[in-house]
Amino acid sequence: VNLALTDEQHLLQVTFSSLFAKEASPTRVRIAESIGHDPGLWELLIETGALGVGVSEDLGGGGGGLLELALIAEEAGRRVAPVPFPETAAAARLLAACGVRDLLYDALSGARLVSLATGSGAVERQLLTDGAVADIVLGLQGDQVVAVHRPNDVRPVSNMGRLPMARWGSAAEVDILAEGDRPRRAFAAALDDVRILRSAALNGLAGEAIEIGAAYARERKAFGLPIGTYQAVAHPFADMLVAKDGAQLLTWKACWASAEQLPRASSLAAMAYVFSAETAYAASQHSLHIHGGYGFTVECDIQLYYRRAKAWVTTFADPDRELNVIADRNFGAAGSTRTPARVEHQKA
Amino acid sequence: MDFSEPPHLKDIRAEAEAFVAEHVTPELLEDELRTGDGVSRPMLRSMGAKGWVAPMWPKEEGGAGLDPFETAAMLAVIRAAGGPTVGPGTTMLTANAIRAVGSPQLRQRILPGVAAGETLICLGYTEPEGGSDVFACKTRSVRDGDEWVINGQKMFTTFAHRADYCFLLTRSDPASNGPRGLTMFLVPMDSPGIEIQALHTMGYERTNIVFYSDVRVSDELRVGEPEQGLHVIRAALEAEQNVAPTSRTSHLYDAAVSWARETADAAGDPMLDDPSVRRRLARLSIDAEVSELLGWRVAFLEQLGAKSGPHAALFGPESYVRWSKEMLDMVGPAGMVDWADPEAVHGGVFEYHFRCSVASTIYGGSSEVLRSLIAEQLLGLARSRPKS
Repeated sequence: VNLALTDEQHLLQVTFSSLFAKEASPTRVRIAESIGHDPGLWELLIETGALGVGVSEDLGGGGGGLLELALIAEEAGRRVAPVPFPETAAAARLLAACGVRDLLYDALSGARLVSLATGSGAVERQLLTDGAVADIVLGLQGDQVVAVHRPNDVRPVSNMGRLPMARWGSAAEVDILAEGDRPRRAFAAALDDVRILRSAALNGLAGEAIEIGAAYARERKAFGLPIGTYQAVAHPFADMLVAKDGAQLLTWKACWASAEQLPRASSLAAMAYVFSAETAYAASQHSLHIHGGYGFTVECDIQLYYRRAKAWVTTFADPDRELNVIADRNFGAAGSTRTPARVEHQKA
Repeated sequence: MDFSEPPHLKDIRAEAEAFVAEHVTPELLEDELRTGDGVSRPMLRSMGAKGWVAPMWPKEEGGAGLDPFETAAMLAVIRAAGGPTVGPGTTMLTANAIRAVGSPQLRQRILPGVAAGETLICLGYTEPEGGSDVFACKTRSVRDGDEWVINGQKMFTTFAHRADYCFLLTRSDPASNGPRGLTMFLVPMDSPGIEIQALHTMGYERTNIVFYSDVRVSDELRVGEPEQGLHVIRAALEAEQNVAPTSRTSHLYDAAVSWARETADAAGDPMLDDPSVRRRLARLSIDAEVSELLGWRVAFLEQLGAKSGPHAALFGPESYVRWSKEMLDMVGPAGMVDWADPEAVHGGVFEYHFRCSVASTIYGGSSEVLRSLIAEQLLGLARSRPKS
């Protein structure tokens, strides 16, 4: 057991922590709310090579793994950075897994923004998380991994999380990138990458939501005392901090299990996603609440966190339905388990 | 980062399983369920012989030189089998404090017996009018030559009737209040003037009320300096909050999964196919995993000589309480049948957990105390209790 980051991973964490602190200030986040995207920050992120950190070096990536990507996603989440990171990083790894070198090169160089269609059903009918800014989204049709090209007229869909969402419609052009069982499994793995990276981003969001709330509870007075003195205000923060630390460990374990290709890896990815989703919502909700009426106003930063804590989850997958995914992965699909009890009963 | 179990844990686990097979007998288990003492002297001595009462102490001090992970794995096996570890676990909180701050004579007198599994030390902190407020201590100690005279009453002194000593918190400066003016003693439990009254709990445990009337204790059994008890007890309290707890949430999960696999519904389908069962077990698997990971972090940081904070001590018991209730609902009326009845499901494990879990968020620092510690020390929030 080693729960410490390597020196290199620590450096990566510090680097992106300061990058997002500087380049994704609350002011910049608010400016980007109109289109849900900060092109300047995106360009900077491309320059750092962040997108390819999880792609091997011979394919033009940084040679790191999911954990390195998770560290970047967590720092992006901490500043609710308006860039489409989880899906694009997962898309890059999917292109690498399918050996689509030219499109991977375009994605990593920033020539084309390649994201992932994570919903169910035909890509054209999905409300795409990054649809307003992506040039291409990768999707699964049957056992084909396809690249769907953005049609000419895309209408951004105004939404609660200020995500660059859009629906592309049937005008979109489709290329088949790979076909068969392996690509199908690679696409499933990409969805697990998104589970893990969303969970990492939500952990960062939760950590900062707690910090924003704690800072307010240290300063703001009511009845002559700082409100953090009151246990009804303070104690939920303690539970949130513990849950956030637990969520972070679970996310990191999921990264490790994925890298080690352990049988439990996909189960851990879904578990991390559900727990981080719950924790980020609870942390931002309590933090907003203890701001009183101020927390409800658009001037207050915590509302930026509160909306995204939910939006980053709702746009991807319902945590309650994800429990079914976890159960299937832990126990096999319902009906697939022939247990002694069942056999005994049938004999009788 | 590496979440794989250290390969050498297999060895210690196998050794612990062999130990359980030999020493945790059905008679011992039934005796524990009947008495609720949390103590088995024969098992304790057998643990002592292996250096497992003080597993992390070096061999020359009677320990086994185990690392925190080996220790946690070994204790988990014994606990999962139902072996009573309350006695040695509690004794070690005091023994570690004595080892850190006790005089050389006291260390020499007490610690070898502890490590050998011969000496049991219970805790005398809580009083009738002071639970979480440990420092509201009213039990008095007055110096009389080479001795001290103690008068007072302590609550919830588990295994007092089986212990050799009590690690007793007293007030020696009558003018003091709060954390100042306190002195710690190791009081021999066979001293004249000690009266022990049994107190039975709904969790199959026996604890005690202990009365001290003019109990005379030699000054040699004082732990730390007079009126510096805060320093001594703080070390013991911190050790309790930073202990790597066995995740009982995981025990509950394991029991529930095997129940769901082995039990059929009226139509003959395994309960593991029931959508409601599946969703609850899926959600429980998350809390079990998080409890374990937070426990691992305690052990990992302990190895580096760092303290983790009471995260595991808060999340573990809180999730244990939550899920012990949920699992009883899930298993239904058969889950309520207790261990004494032949119809008991899995030895009555679900009703057992339901009964026991509620105490886990109280002893060893109530959840509220732990939350205040986290809020104050890690988030810099103002202290919520009046300063004394």
